[in-house]
Amino acid sequence: MEIDLTLNGEAVTLPAARSDSLLDVLRQSGYTGAKRGCNTGDCGFCTVIVDGKPIKSCIEPAIRIDGSDVETIENLGNQDDLHPIQAAFVDNTALQCGFCIPGMIMRTKGLLEANPDPNDEEIRDALSGNLCRCTGYEKILDAVADAAGRMASETDLAADGGRIPDDKSCSGCDCYPRGDD
Amino acid sequence: MSRPDTSGDDSQPDGSASTDTITHTDRDENSETNKQKDNRQSVSSRAEKADARKIVTGEAKYTADHVGSFQDIAEAAVVRSEIAHGVVTNIDTSAARQMDGVYAVITPDSPSVPDKPYTSAGQSYPEPSPLDLHVLRKRVRYVGDPIAAVAAEDAATARAAVQQVAVTYDEYDAVFDTEAAMDETAPQLHDRDDIENPQPGADYERNVEAHGEGEIGDVDAAFEAAATSDEMTVVETEWETPYQSHCVPEPHTTIAHLDENDRYHLVTSTQVPYHVRRQLAHLFDVPIRDVRVTKPQVGAGFGSKQSMVIEPITLALSLAAERPIKLEATRREEFHAMRLRRPSRTKVRSVVTDDGDLKALDMSVVTNSGAYGPHGMTAAGAVGKKPLPLYTHTPNIRFEMDAVHTNLPIAGAMRGYGAPQGHFAVEGHMDEVARELDVDPIEFRARNCIGEGDIDIASGILKEGEYGRRIRSCGLDECIKRGSDAIGWDEVDQPDAEHLHRACGMAIATQGSGIPGDELGAAHIKMNEDGSFILQTGAVDIGTGADTTMSQIAAEVLGSPPEDIIVQPSDTDISPFDYGAYASSTTYVTGQAVQQAALDAREQLFEFAADLLDEATDTLVARDGKVHSKETGQSVTLEEIGYASIYGDERRAQIMGEASHSTDESPPPFGAQFVDVTVDKRTGEFEVHDLVFAVDCGVAINPDLAEGQVTGAMHMSYELATGADLSFDDDGTPQTLGFRHYGMPRTSDQPALTPILVETHEPTGPFGAKSIAEIPTNAVPPALSNAIRRAVGVRINDLPITAEKIKTALDKQ
Repeated sequence: MEIDLTLNGEAVTLPAARSDSLLDVLRQSGYTGAKRGCNTGDCGFCTVIVDGKPIKSCIEPAIRIDGSDVETIENLGNQDDLHPIQAAFVDNTALQCGFCIPGMIMRTKGLLEANPDPNDEEIRDALSGNLCRCTGYEKILDAVADAAGRMASETDLAADGGRIPDDKSCSGCDCYPRGDD
Repeated sequence: MSRPDTSGDDSQPDGSASTDTITHTDRDENSETNKQKDNRQSVSSRAEKADARKIVTGEAKYTADHVGSFQDIAEAAVVRSEIAHGVVTNIDTSAARQMDGVYAVITPDSPSVPDKPYTSAGQSYPEPSPLDLHVLRKRVRYVGDPIAAVAAEDAATARAAVQQVAVTYDEYDAVFDTEAAMDETAPQLHDRDDIENPQPGADYERNVEAHGEGEIGDVDAAFEAAATSDEMTVVETEWETPYQSHCVPEPHTTIAHLDENDRYHLVTSTQVPYHVRRQLAHLFDVPIRDVRVTKPQVGAGFGSKQSMVIEPITLALSLAAERPIKLEATRREEFHAMRLRRPSRTKVRSVVTDDGDLKALDMSVVTNSGAYGPHGMTAAGAVGKKPLPLYTHTPNIRFEMDAVHTNLPIAGAMRGYGAPQGHFAVEGHMDEVARELDVDPIEFRARNCIGEGDIDIASGILKEGEYGRRIRSCGLDECIKRGSDAIGWDEVDQPDAEHLHRACGMAIATQGSGIPGDELGAAHIKMNEDGSFILQTGAVDIGTGADTTMSQIAAEVLGSPPEDIIVQPSDTDISPFDYGAYASSTTYVTGQAVQQAALDAREQLFEFAADLLDEATDTLVARDGKVHSKETGQSVTLEEIGYASIYGDERRAQIMGEASHSTDESPPPFGAQFVDVTVDKRTGEFEVHDLVFAVDCGVAINPDLAEGQVTGAMHMSYELATGADLSFDDDGTPQTLGFRHYGMPRTSDQPALTPILVETHEPTGPFGAKSIAEIPTNAVPPALSNAIRRAVGVRINDLPITAEKIKTALDKQ
């Protein structure tokens, strides 16, 4: 079967098996930025944004993505021209092995689009579905706070200022439920 | 504050150590390696991690991301034992083989599957671990033993085919507890005649794979004396630690194929490419030169990828299916069928005078190896060898260890390597001693612990003959001071609520920097025309930033910016040899090879610069991307030298430096862990407010990366203290098979982590560096247990520490 979707702003048709997850389809199609860490929706390494909300693509059936708008890490900056969130992760050394980072950055993008000025607790809450084994999270939390500042100053500069949709909130996404573990 | 070394060089037992001291004193006088902070350009700078940009853009390619480079690659899955102990009587693969899209099914009898025993340990040669594993197994010893494997067109088909393989067993009695396993009536896991085991003290009739003991002084006499003395106290404690999963982010993943030169080529997520190459060559009975191991970006290791767990299965499947194979472990497999931290039970007894001087320390540990023996003796030995040097001045010390088999998952190497288990026992015990004497735990440690200039003999407690090592750098006193200031040791405010009790706890820690006398690192560096360099080392960057650290060391020598040193990832066809990323060795051992290779290149650099500047080489200095004359102040850029070396009119030679480094030294880093906790006396619930680790790693080559090691390791140590443990049902079937069943801290429950770097200068290290990666894994469990003891008076001596255990202990008060 095939699924039609908007992927990083472009309409594409991708081949998929009936049992494939969105992560399977993305990786088979060469979008390998999203990583497979558990395949059960528990680690967040596969986080991508679907219709504006960060989700765990390893437990999202591909068939349900038909017609959706999907954004992956590949849509952000490149190495010479980083997105402000990516730049904040680099400048804060908020990474070691890097396996969790694409998911962590997409989760951060989802958070900051919904809540451009999160406090520390909101950041900890929003990232709680995304594991990191290397950093102890300290520098990642710093990077997210830093990214919020960078995004805010960038939004201030933008004439239209309209890149943050108003209807984005975390209520409908799969942020890891607290106390469920 | 530590006691001065009174032994003197005359009584130094090991003559070679004094010779070393002289050698290193000479080196220390060399301003080349001992640069003041403000004179360093690359070393101690917060240089950007070399792979940071490809990581944040998703362009870093881990093993599984390389699948697109291999035509007709197949996916693999493994059939694993569903019983804890027994023998496979039949494997029916017919249904699996008939499935569409299945390319190969291999069993222990398949021609491509080696039948000789090996160890997965990933250590040097000859392997110190027993050869007790087979690639696929008919005799199974835990739920998870690999029995067969399947290659298919995609992962879903491979997994479906695994379900179609029918295995029948003859089941044996199993044993899951080390104490029960050592009983004569317990089921026996291994037959000594089947195993080549170089470890001492094996007694397979009692399921003991290794036993070791060592003594300094006369411990029994010290306890006898204490029994009749009014001025001495005896303290006895017991400690228990559980299994811990590495929770390695990238699951073990291997791609194996036969390349166009008919050589075995593996792209694999490993910490030890060269050991994997050697082990595979021996196992598959091919020359080492016919195996190539490429390490791509690796999603961390923490010791789990020191073990060669899935590479042999992948290679055997590739030979059977005659095509490239990718095998990627599932998270479920990571939690039971790869490797884990070994559980332990430790007893500690001590004699202490009323003045607070330790007179005797007696420690014994039984570790649970699980079903097989990799790292059995060496990791169990580390339980004592690692923490005991902290109290090496104790005149009588004894340590005894047993590594015991049970029908549970295989323990391997894990960050800290026995030291976390040992520190929990020793540092928990020291707090009990201080409490018994009614002295401050910091004062008690300061009175007894090791210091700079001392001779440590306790790390050699399992060695034959005389032994001693000089501690040339030790910032323990300052670590304690700065850590206690940061946590607020002297100024804990009690909460208003009567049932809440707040206290700080602490523990000190140490580790090594590589395995003394059992390491080799090598490096090669060549200059490009544009003044940049390509550095090849066998150092295995598994996410730590080792490549960046190496570039900073080379850059400091060559006077170039670190980003102009391009570091090539480890590949056994290309890189110089290296033992690999384990035992906290990379910065200390390979870093020195890099430093020496860069010095070698710089000599050649200076020869060209001397010609260009018309100066003698001994007037030259490399700095700011140039070579300067100290005499005239004139300079020539590295780029000018690069072009001149390759396209010059009179003399042409590529500037290339190389060096190997091996050493008998392994200078210990030191650290002090602090915990601030509030305990609810009604429920036992506790909240950790802050975790502070102040550490002396010598000179931190890159403070950002060093701090990252500290916070990441403290996170892991906090998990061992509060969240680790795997549960099994009565027949040994694992129940903890995913992150949602396991207590790995998330952003929502990870307490704040504060790293403090205390700089000392280690004269034997590259620009004064020691290790940093493992030591912060060691001390949260004792520090937290000690804090809870101070807060509410109860001692939790078995991990993980839970509200339930605290409540139970409070109820007994």
